[in-house]
Amino acid sequence: MSKVKIHVFSIADYEEEEIWLRKQHRQGLRFIKIVPPCFYVFEECTPEDVVYRLDYQNRSASSDYKQIFQDYGWEYAGNCSGWLYFRKPASEVQQENDGEIFSDTQSKVDMIQHVVNTRMIPLLVIFFCCLIPNWVRSLNGSLGKVDYFLMVFFSGLIVLYLLLILHCGRKLMKLREKYRQE
Amino acid sequence: MEERIRRIYVPMTETGFYILFCLQTPQHGYAIGQQVKEMTGNSVLISPGTMYGTLSKMEKDGLIRFYAEQDKRKLYQITALGQEVLKTEISRIERLYHNSRGECIYE
Repeated sequence: MSKVKIHVFSIADYEEEEIWLRKQHRQGLRFIKIVPPCFYVFEECTPEDVVYRLDYQNRSASSDYKQIFQDYGWEYAGNCSGWLYFRKPASEVQQENDGEIFSDTQSKVDMIQHVVNTRMIPLLVIFFCCLIPNWVRSLNGSLGKVDYFLMVFFSGLIVLYLLLILHCGRKLMKLREKYRQE
Repeated sequence: MEERIRRIYVPMTETGFYILFCLQTPQHGYAIGQQVKEMTGNSVLISPGTMYGTLSKMEKDGLIRFYAEQDKRKLYQITALGQEVLKTEISRIERLYHNSRGECIYE
């Protein structure tokens, strides 16, 4: 039997997502796929402690990429908007390193940089080149009903975007600091 | 060697050095990881994301090249530029080693 759960994780919350997926599996829900933006499809299974890890490649996984993870004992569990999902039973994790997909600071920091370049920067471009000009235009409109509606709509979007940009930016910077100090 | 390559790869990370060193014989990512594990007595363990990322970066920078494909695994081999980087690194590490033992090498 499959089950759908709704959960929102931003591009900066991948560590929380890994923990959440592990918790679901421990409760007998095996991750199947994500239907964007926030629907997680699971199938019922025997509860098991399974480690989940996310890598960001911003493209679908090539066969040699999947093979190298498989060689290291990671099962490829699917992908969603640039993120690739891997899992491995916790019983197969002998040393701490077996449970990680990155073994040095540089590759963790590189992944964050990749997320910033391909996801954060487009977000900022949309914000400054599309949302702000439209918002300003809506402010200058005559006071008709449509203009008022547009003004409220764009103001709401701007607040939402600002919150998202602030959250992701701060979190990614914090993660980068954390990795550098490990 | 270009300035850009020198800036990125000299000095190298331990992971980077071992991967480049192992690719003097053509092989795939997992085999490199196993060899490094053996060579270092389980001290240097390279995870798959780091292995894949390093191989892709080194291929893009021309330090290694695609050699062949074997059961969905890509085999890589060091290039002339890679050899040059490796040689530079080895002499740097040799100097470091001698100096650490208090041996004077420049008389």
